[in-house]
Amino acid sequence: MTLPVASNDPSCHCPLLDTKQGSESTVVAIACGESEACRLRALGLYEGATVSVIGKRHCLLVDVSGTRLALGSDLATGITVQPRAASAP
Amino acid sequence: MNAPAAPARLGHDRPLRVAIIGNPNTGKTTLFNALTGLRQRVGNFAGVTVERVEGAFTLGDGRRVTILDLPGSYSLTAGSPDEQIALEVLLKRDASHWDPDVVLVVVDAVHLDRNLFLASQVCELGLPVVIALNQIDVAESQGIAIDIPELIHELGVPVIPTVASRGEGLDPLRNACFTAAALPAPTPRFAIDASAETSLARHKWIGEVIARTVTRRARSLDTPSDTIDAIALHRVGGPLLFLVIMALVFQAVFSWAAPLQDAIESLVLTVGSRVGDVLPEGDLRSLVVDGVFAGVGSVLVFLPQIAILFGFIGILEQSGYMARAAFLMDGLMRRVGLHGKSFIPMLSGYACAVPGIMATRTIEDPKDRLATIMVVPLMSCSARLPVYTLLIGTFIPALPLIPGLDLQGATMLLMYLLGTVTALAIAALFRKTLLRGPVRPMILELPPYRWPAPKSLMVSVWQRCQVFLRRAGTVILSLSIVLWALATYPRAPEDATRTAEQQQEAQLAHSVLGRFGKAIEPAVAPLGYDWKIGVSIVASFAAREVFVSTMGTIYGVGGEDDAALADRLRAETDASGAPVYTPLIAVGLMVFYVYALMCMSTIAVTVREAGGGRIGWRWATIQFVYMLVLAYGAAWLVLVIGRALGFS
Repeated sequence: MTLPVASNDPSCHCPLLDTKQGSESTVVAIACGESEACRLRALGLYEGATVSVIGKRHCLLVDVSGTRLALGSDLATGITVQPRAASAP
Repeated sequence: MNAPAAPARLGHDRPLRVAIIGNPNTGKTTLFNALTGLRQRVGNFAGVTVERVEGAFTLGDGRRVTILDLPGSYSLTAGSPDEQIALEVLLKRDASHWDPDVVLVVVDAVHLDRNLFLASQVCELGLPVVIALNQIDVAESQGIAIDIPELIHELGVPVIPTVASRGEGLDPLRNACFTAAALPAPTPRFAIDASAETSLARHKWIGEVIARTVTRRARSLDTPSDTIDAIALHRVGGPLLFLVIMALVFQAVFSWAAPLQDAIESLVLTVGSRVGDVLPEGDLRSLVVDGVFAGVGSVLVFLPQIAILFGFIGILEQSGYMARAAFLMDGLMRRVGLHGKSFIPMLSGYACAVPGIMATRTIEDPKDRLATIMVVPLMSCSARLPVYTLLIGTFIPALPLIPGLDLQGATMLLMYLLGTVTALAIAALFRKTLLRGPVRPMILELPPYRWPAPKSLMVSVWQRCQVFLRRAGTVILSLSIVLWALATYPRAPEDATRTAEQQQEAQLAHSVLGRFGKAIEPAVAPLGYDWKIGVSIVASFAAREVFVSTMGTIYGVGGEDDAALADRLRAETDASGAPVYTPLIAVGLMVFYVYALMCMSTIAVTVREAGGGRIGWRWATIQFVYMLVLAYGAAWLVLVIGRALGFS
């Protein structure tokens, strides 16, 4: 599902997994199991939220409004984001 | 809507019922422990394996409150078993009919926006709500200012600032629960569903509330937690630190507990023999001393280890390191099809499979949980330690290998490694066969580091000890008595020409247990065992450490004298004069104990945790049988390969 909050330019959209460490982006769409999506939204990672990648390992370390989350790389592939222009490479 | 029934009477005629809920890592349990102290009862929610902790407190004026600790939840709609249970209770559909009068939502003031997601869902259930704005001190220190009157206005429920770790704000909170019970429930704003639309609308509303109530200094991305994480999650430093911490926990569970265990053992022995002295010689004295007191002793002796293990687990959890440990272990665990969270139960398994299996409750996916339950008993628990110690001490020479490690130590290490590696392999096997399914993607919150609250820690440790005493303790005690009876009856005829030791040996051979051991001798003969080992193995079904005391009984040296027993075992010969126990047999026997599920308590816990009833028994049977087959096969292989290599 794509929501109007971050529909600037679909060509800039990419999976969260592919964003650079230290970069900020806006969540555009979440494609994963229903209960995982619900968990992510409850944790503050919802369509329109700002997420920054603070570490990359076998999984992704992200910050969403002050909450630190470790996300499996399979999950991070299913999260589409729009990188922020200011911090885009 | 549920109108609160005659609020003035609540708390006097019947206690006010308060359900407490909150996101994980908000200090919910600390607050619960601070409110209730030691007045807690641990059980299970009816029909499921989610732990249910109920506590109570009384106000100064005599009004009473019972308070139910609901599982930590990020929302009411994600469908994990824990969240399902919380929702059932709050919707008054829980099978135990514990219908709450008030819901107390614990909210982390530092992460107010995220916590309000759950809080706002709870506000839509038609129940009076009180919000505890916890860790307000941390929020203030980080430059976060919250306009509490405005927040009360926005949410339409009482909001009480608290610092649970220091016990601040508890009295206003207690009073607010009563006040809220008389107030109407807040008006619902959204539907409670898992749809993206509702979530987004909720977040939009939360954003507006935050904008009106919270002012903060510009948030720097580098918090003190990040500084610690730079080491704790470092590619090289992280695993190293993890190993050091685990080594410390391990060392503590084994060596710090030892003097306490010795003290408990000798205390129980002393009291037992004092009581025995005043009883007349005969069956009653034997029952009291060898049955009851020996049984009580074998239960109590676990307490130091359990207290120390859960003390450490509590510190690791409260400090926030446990999430990092799960994160670090996730890569390894995922390779065998388990979850990073499976690591904690498996580590606990080194102390005792019973708390280990109980700790699988934190794993959400049922298949992950079952696979973990199935392999936790393969981790060498502390009850195997006496068996290893006796056999290694008696038959393995202390040849120095490298500085700091001799052959005895290496053998011990090998037994632990054998169990651990096998556990991982078997878990992978289960996840590919009976428990096939996708591994759930990891979503793990890494909470900010904080100092553990000592008082809450003590309460948690005491709670675990109680659970062990009630659940495992009763089983172990009653089985000790049953085994005593099986080893005592029928009575062997007295023969004046025998020494006391010979009489004891004859008695055991004559008893039900002895006859059973002889009956299964053909089954254990291929492993190189005689009927006495067979009896000890059967007897150790009550609990593995019983093996040592049964050997003590069989060889008439008493269960507490390892050195005398070791001498006796080395001297034991069969009919042809060859020694019964050789180092090879001893290694085979240890391998048997690495794998065999010789533990009634574990089976009882598996039955319940795997789903109870027929399903539970099915999994417990699978577990028992596969472990027995593994044990028998491996012990046989050790003997065959050992003999082929020229060992005797």
